[in-house]
Amino acid sequence: MFPIETDPSFQIVIRELVKRYHFQPVLNQLSLTLADGDFCILVGANGAGKTTLLRILATLVRPDRGEIYLGGKLIAQAPELRGEIGYIGHQPMFYNDLSAVENLRHYAHLYLCPDPEILIQNAIQAAGLGAAQHKPVRTFSRGMQQRLSIARALLHDPHLLLLDEPYTGLDTEAAQSLDERLQHLHQPGRIILLAAHQPGRLLKMASHIAWLQDGKISHHIPAASIPEVPALQAYLREEA
Amino acid sequence: MKPMLHYLRVTWQIFRKDIRVEWRGRQGVPVMLVFALLVVFLFNFALQLSPNLQAGLAAGLLWVALAFASTLGLNRSISLERESSALDGLLLVPVDRSAIYFGKALSNFTFTTLVALVLLPILSLFYQQNMFHLPLVLVILLGVGAYTGLGTLLAALSIQSRTRDVLLPILLYPLALPILIASVEASRGILAGQPLGELQSWIYLLLAADILFSAAGLMFFETILEE
Repeated sequence: MFPIETDPSFQIVIRELVKRYHFQPVLNQLSLTLADGDFCILVGANGAGKTTLLRILATLVRPDRGEIYLGGKLIAQAPELRGEIGYIGHQPMFYNDLSAVENLRHYAHLYLCPDPEILIQNAIQAAGLGAAQHKPVRTFSRGMQQRLSIARALLHDPHLLLLDEPYTGLDTEAAQSLDERLQHLHQPGRIILLAAHQPGRLLKMASHIAWLQDGKISHHIPAASIPEVPALQAYLREEA
Repeated sequence: MKPMLHYLRVTWQIFRKDIRVEWRGRQGVPVMLVFALLVVFLFNFALQLSPNLQAGLAAGLLWVALAFASTLGLNRSISLERESSALDGLLLVPVDRSAIYFGKALSNFTFTTLVALVLLPILSLFYQQNMFHLPLVLVILLGVGAYTGLGTLLAALSIQSRTRDVLLPILLYPLALPILIASVEASRGILAGQPLGELQSWIYLLLAADILFSAAGLMFFETILEE
């Protein structure tokens, strides 16, 4: 929708990010670079700052210090870059009195998506919400809202996909469907950063893993190299 | 699409969404109307005034009812965006965030103007005063524009606060006092048959407030919403 000139250097570069809440540093000089085609799982204990990092990347929270570049442009100075970002947070971001279709139509218009009605129908079908598409969102279960939230985040075909615990509330079938969706989305031209407290099922799909500890990325390694870092392996085993 | 056109389309889309949500839920305008009508009815029965005094009171009552009803609408406007963090969805849109301000201010303005349109005939009836003057409509539009413009900014400011329902009126009423005084004075003058030339200063003050709050929204809305 808002194409960045995609080239091999399309990447997200985070430099020395600092964020404090009530004078307590949550992120402390955090640096991380994700390259085109990366599917990175962000792990860390509760309160480690995973959500804060994702919200900063989505430009929903302003960092106290540090810089973020997407495709070579400073994200804070280019609002049009937000068109490259898809974000799934803890809340579904919908208007409860509107139906699923109306909510998606609202977002399709905000993002100036071409052929919105076709996009919306495809998104509804992919989310498995065909039967409930005209019902108000307030009647949806948590799992249905989460599926609709995923549809919303993907509606404008973003290049950077930020997912914060996206499996929350999903039943087995919906979780498998999300697995397939993520595998399909994992391709050149896109970067996926997924925060997960219990990343078990995702490790087979991901290309990289980043461990957030004490406000910093202590390890950022290919997923295949996890056995080479015993501390990380032990942490993952503990959280499984 | 050019950025300016996208900006205007986002503003329009946010306005359309607010109208649609209100039409579905009917949780804002009906409450505003009931409150405004209650004020008008109660004052009519509480103050047994002579017809001359009643006419003078109508301008004041119109603005008291509009100010309180509008504040209810502004509170509803915040809670709508807080529900399921819908505001985050708007903040993610790739356009300058002041577009959100103008979209929200436009819907708040529309809802309060709707209440004013219902109040005018009722005030005419109860206070034996013809309220249908074109200059009065102009003053209502300018006054409501300034009040909802300021209110939308302050609503955004209080959105992060746990005490936002209380915080908004506490911030809004003192700051809106010049707008309300100018609106009441201009309305009273028009109803008393004063020539518009004598009321120019009040009307200019309202116009200046409209411009000031539009500019403030354009410049500061993004900063106000930041976490």
